[in-house]
Amino acid sequence: MTTVAFMVILPLLLHIAITMVMKNILVRSLDQVPYEVWVFPGIIMLIASVSTFSVVYRDLFDLRIHKKSFIPITLAPYGKTQLVLGFLVTTIIEALVYVIIAMGVLTVLLPEPFHWTAYLFIPLFTFVFNFLLGNLMITFSVLTDRISTYLLVMIAIFFFVLFGTGVLVEFEFYPKTIGIILSYSPLSMVLSDLRGILFFNRLNWHLIFIPVFVSVGWTWLNGYLLKRKLKQ
Amino acid sequence: MEASITLKKVGKLVGDKTILASLTFGVERGSLVAIIGDNEAGKSMLLKVISGIEYQEFGQVFINGLDSQKRRLEVMSSIGFVSHEIDLDPWLTLEQNIRFMAMMYGVDTEKANTHMVQLARELHMIPYLKRLVQDISPGIVKKGMILRALIHDPEILIMDDPTAFMDAESYRHTWDLLLRLRGKKTILYVSQSLTEVEAAHDRILVLEDGRIALDGSLDKLLGSTFEFHQFQIEFEKLPEDLFKKLANLPKVKNPSRIGNSIHFYGRERNVFFEVLNAAASAIMKDISVKKLGLQDLMDAKFAKDGIH
Repeated sequence: MTTVAFMVILPLLLHIAITMVMKNILVRSLDQVPYEVWVFPGIIMLIASVSTFSVVYRDLFDLRIHKKSFIPITLAPYGKTQLVLGFLVTTIIEALVYVIIAMGVLTVLLPEPFHWTAYLFIPLFTFVFNFLLGNLMITFSVLTDRISTYLLVMIAIFFFVLFGTGVLVEFEFYPKTIGIILSYSPLSMVLSDLRGILFFNRLNWHLIFIPVFVSVGWTWLNGYLLKRKLKQ
Repeated sequence: MEASITLKKVGKLVGDKTILASLTFGVERGSLVAIIGDNEAGKSMLLKVISGIEYQEFGQVFINGLDSQKRRLEVMSSIGFVSHEIDLDPWLTLEQNIRFMAMMYGVDTEKANTHMVQLARELHMIPYLKRLVQDISPGIVKKGMILRALIHDPEILIMDDPTAFMDAESYRHTWDLLLRLRGKKTILYVSQSLTEVEAAHDRILVLEDGRIALDGSLDKLLGSTFEFHQFQIEFEKLPEDLFKKLANLPKVKNPSRIGNSIHFYGRERNVFFEVLNAAASAIMKDISVKKLGLQDLMDAKFAKDGIH
């Protein structure tokens, strides 16, 4: 019940703290999209990030460092990459539930809803975004042994998602070099491509394939790291 | 008999320290093997290496003839492991923990359910299945861990201190189950309770500094003590000269004095009568003769130095 309440309250909080404030400053994006509409996919990705963090912590880091059921899980007849994939699937499914509820809540607050196809594209892109972000969090969940270090890293990742992937403002507002570098981050590519398809009906396949390829490679790497860490 | 577990020159390092040193032995299918030894002897690490929790730096472990590192996925289905510390998810019920593991091993839901209920009945833990693990006492949780390890019906059951935290009743239920499984499954366990090991084993391995110091049945191991007996005589008053006189008798081994009592070892019971004759003039309050047990064997003086 608490989780369901949180799923509804979180998008409301973000809308109040981000959208309602920022729309008075930026009003419209550089492509003349109203800010509260432009920021919608970013808010959704933020919510996906928060749920990814909680699920990776619950299913992997907490079980591992507190010696709960993690070792018995690793003794089951699966390869380590399969286990990582299992953690990712759980993460993505739970994040999608958060995202679907958030889309419903935030749509009520929009001046007019998106075209119905947008509500199919957003979960699809969230899937890719979470595939990447989940891998990033899994890497640190495997490599870190102290909760303090882990939290520090996770907060840093959250700040990176917030300010370094184009969630709040366009990269054109950043110093030119930094804006270019950040736009080449696979996480930024997903969000940028999602906005392209939502606002301009323009899909850059390479912006979706690169993150997917990176994620697949990263999943394998996480499997290898897990195997090394466990000495199995 | 066919070997269920075979170790060939298995060595394990942690940092620069050798934890297991070139261990070579086999465990017969269906046998009940107890591993004992001092702290830091390498007992838990040996179980971890055999069960695949940690790989060995040297040598090979074969499970049912398959190399456990090269054919890990095939091997893991045939092993059930119970760790020393509690490792169930505290936020799930006992049943959810068990079902989850059944799912991980691909056990059919109906089969898992039947098996779980049957084992839970034997372990007298049906009332605890629906309770959160964090609300159950550690002794019951430990039984739950044994149940979880058996849910996929493994051929080999490896347990690190299986009856830790258990009260007398839980201990009895657990061993009733394990002794029923004896012969059907290969059971390998570590215990700090020598009474437990004396009561339940086909074979005992005594580990010392990562090596097997002794290996065999209890009778065989105690055979290495050459029929020694432990004697104790309590006097009303034990003068120093009488103690020296008794201690210097040729067949009296390792004499020691505790207050007005003399404590010594002898190979034959008639040593006792020689001592009694020599001490006939003194008033005795109590006498005791005991055949050496596993506890005496594990006493560093005997395990490491022997009786001089």
